[in-house]
Amino acid sequence: MNIENLIKDTFVAREHDAPDSDAVLAAARRRIDSRRSGLSRPFAVAAGATVLTLGAVTAVVLNRAGPAEHAQIAAPANGSQSSQAPTTTAPAAAGLKMPYSLGWLPPGSVAYRVHRVNVGFSADKPDVPLYGGEYMLTVTANNQVLEVDVQQMRMVSADRATFKSGPGQSVTINGQPGVESSVSTGPGGYELYVAHPDGGSMYVNVNAAPGSTAPAQQLVEAGRRIAENVQFPGTTTVTPRYGLRELPNGLRICAFDVEQGPSDPKMMTSYRLGTCTVQPTIFVNSGVGANVPTGAPGQPVQGHETRYVDENGYHQLWVLDAVDGVPIIIAGRVPQAELYDIANRLVLSQ
Amino acid sequence: MADYDDFARAQLPRLLRYATMLTGEREQAADLVQDVLVKVYRHWSRISGADHPDRYVLRMVTNGYLSWRHSWSARVIASGDVPDEARADDFATDHAARDDMWQRLARLPKRQRAVMVLRYYEQLPDPEIAELLGCAQSTVRAHAHKALAALRNGLAIEQMAEARETG
Repeated sequence: MNIENLIKDTFVAREHDAPDSDAVLAAARRRIDSRRSGLSRPFAVAAGATVLTLGAVTAVVLNRAGPAEHAQIAAPANGSQSSQAPTTTAPAAAGLKMPYSLGWLPPGSVAYRVHRVNVGFSADKPDVPLYGGEYMLTVTANNQVLEVDVQQMRMVSADRATFKSGPGQSVTINGQPGVESSVSTGPGGYELYVAHPDGGSMYVNVNAAPGSTAPAQQLVEAGRRIAENVQFPGTTTVTPRYGLRELPNGLRICAFDVEQGPSDPKMMTSYRLGTCTVQPTIFVNSGVGANVPTGAPGQPVQGHETRYVDENGYHQLWVLDAVDGVPIIIAGRVPQAELYDIANRLVLSQ
Repeated sequence: MADYDDFARAQLPRLLRYATMLTGEREQAADLVQDVLVKVYRHWSRISGADHPDRYVLRMVTNGYLSWRHSWSARVIASGDVPDEARADDFATDHAARDDMWQRLARLPKRQRAVMVLRYYEQLPDPEIAELLGCAQSTVRAHAHKALAALRNGLAIEQMAEARETG
């Protein structure tokens, strides 16, 4: 067999690895629905960086179901198992609490790009949401810029780790099995997956930002140490651009995203609301720019003009000029009255 | 948007297989194609009017793969260590040879891998590959040459062929 035939055979032999069409189409559909509300992609990268002030704010404990994401994993720094009992609806204008904290970061000036709680799902149970926190940040010191991504990946176990750079090597972090990979140049930098006792894994990625360089060993040491010092439950809070208060009808904040927008120095904020035991159904998002939809004028909300859009049962309520000149969009396949109810609970002044 | 749904359902199996060959990994392929489906939806009125919407979307998948850089969705498959120098015994079966080749493909730079997939999986001629990648045919040939050289390096079947010729 010559090499060209071997390549052909290799590809054909891997056809069975292709994902299931129905599952992918369903997932795309969900994303299309969320984009209709103006939400950014869950794992979108925020361009640029800014220092996010984690001020003395009151933490909002998310009312998500399932204590799994709050269990201590790789780092037994100071935490213990926490069931994190749900609170009543909290004044969401206060700080949002991350499910875990970063107990150590490389020395330097830290600039946070993203604080979020992602919503994911497993292939076999696409209707059951899996929540996981993520931090994206940069650390600048002595003209060197490191990019750090720490992500709780509930749907990916460490033994299914895949890397940007190449094969992984086994490693143990705080007694938990993991797989790591590192390259001195090119994409990837240092990557690590560490098993989570309750399933899934924690992912740590440290690499030199474009235009910056870092020795491979520095990336390895930084990445491992970050993983060793992840602390569950989290004590970190993040200040949203706007909040929500006293949610109605058993609604809860299931997930949030606070990140720097592509052209906006202020942090964009979005929420996903629902019962949290199934995929969240209502999306609340700060829009980009001052674009106004071509919907019908609606009832004023908190002194702001609104626009109402109905796309075959998918409803959007735009609260215009809500925060810093940009609108807030509340959307979902729910009655119009429910959107107005939520809009009236927005906490717009920070 | 019934047209969109019909189109998506019809094209998805091929797109997913293609994305799997590009990325080397099931989840990443699903992510990549999901991204493309969302974009196709948003621009469906334009895409549906193209001469060959299927080719247009194939290009979107290719471009998405080539430009994807972000964290968890940009990882290349790595299923264990790749031996620097393979031994003939390791490849007694075709299965082992294909596994070895799969890992070698995973280590190629993205453009080289894309050329390999388009040429040997999609079986497109070089002019079409060049059009799809937005480059010159000579560039396609250069990528293919480098990729094949890299894939051959230390490959057991080549060593075995040499051994037979000199034996």
